[in-house]
Amino acid sequence: MSKTLTVEGDIATVDAIARLTSQGSVTAPSLVVPSGMSKIDKIIIAASAEGLADGSAVFYIRLGGNAVKRGEQTIMASAAGRIAVQTGSDAAPQITSLFILHNADIEVTPSDTLTISAEMAGSDLGTGRAVATLVFA
Amino acid sequence: MPRLYRTREGEATAVDTKSQLITLGSETAPGPLLVPAGATELAGIIVAAIMNMAAATSYSALVRLEGPGLPGGPEVIAAGAGGVPVATGGNAVIAAEFIALNIPVTPGNEILIFGEMAGTDVGQVSFGVTLIFEA
Repeated sequence: MSKTLTVEGDIATVDAIARLTSQGSVTAPSLVVPSGMSKIDKIIIAASAEGLADGSAVFYIRLGGNAVKRGEQTIMASAAGRIAVQTGSDAAPQITSLFILHNADIEVTPSDTLTISAEMAGSDLGTGRAVATLVFA
Repeated sequence: MPRLYRTREGEATAVDTKSQLITLGSETAPGPLLVPAGATELAGIIVAAIMNMAAATSYSALVRLEGPGLPGGPEVIAAGAGGVPVATGGNAVIAAEFIALNIPVTPGNEILIFGEMAGTDVGQVSFGVTLIFEA
């Protein structure tokens, strides 16, 4: 049996931890590992930025909190690059596909709490956005 | 077996030059990346690499793993490639890739991660690399 936990949020600036604590219409979803679950079996992440500034950057998440048995784990998710368009042109969107990590096998303690964060590192490409789903087993 | 995830990121700004990845976003000095206690192998890596689109040329990207944490010696792994025809309007986002490996490691010893741009100088390539240890 599996259980999922999804969180999302803004990445306001580069090189700064952005806690993912909301879930769309649910402003404060539970970050407690479901009862009976002992590991994170899969991780699904999408992260990108609006592309308002030039440069290149990578995006990753941090999994921490007292539920993660072996301490904080960091997982790369995506990369983005952008240069300004010619005057009078429109910029392309910065759309990414999902990164799905199967068999993640991260040990967690049921009924303890996770912290899930995202970061943009490298150039500041403007406000970023991240969503992450943890699949427990 | 449980897995442990350790990540570093950084930029390569010169062609055919090793650039060590030593930061992690908000952590400007996370310290050496040591093989965790009890780790039995490097079970895989997650890689994301992309150019800044600022030069009309193309490149390929490599990740080099070196150091005493790898008793079998260094490893070199393809990380991506790309290019743009003009130095305006380039724009791309790519999802990271998982690459399964089975490389012996020495717990408590350091692994150094380098990103490298090859081909022609595109200006800047950002690299993010996660090492996945089985422990």
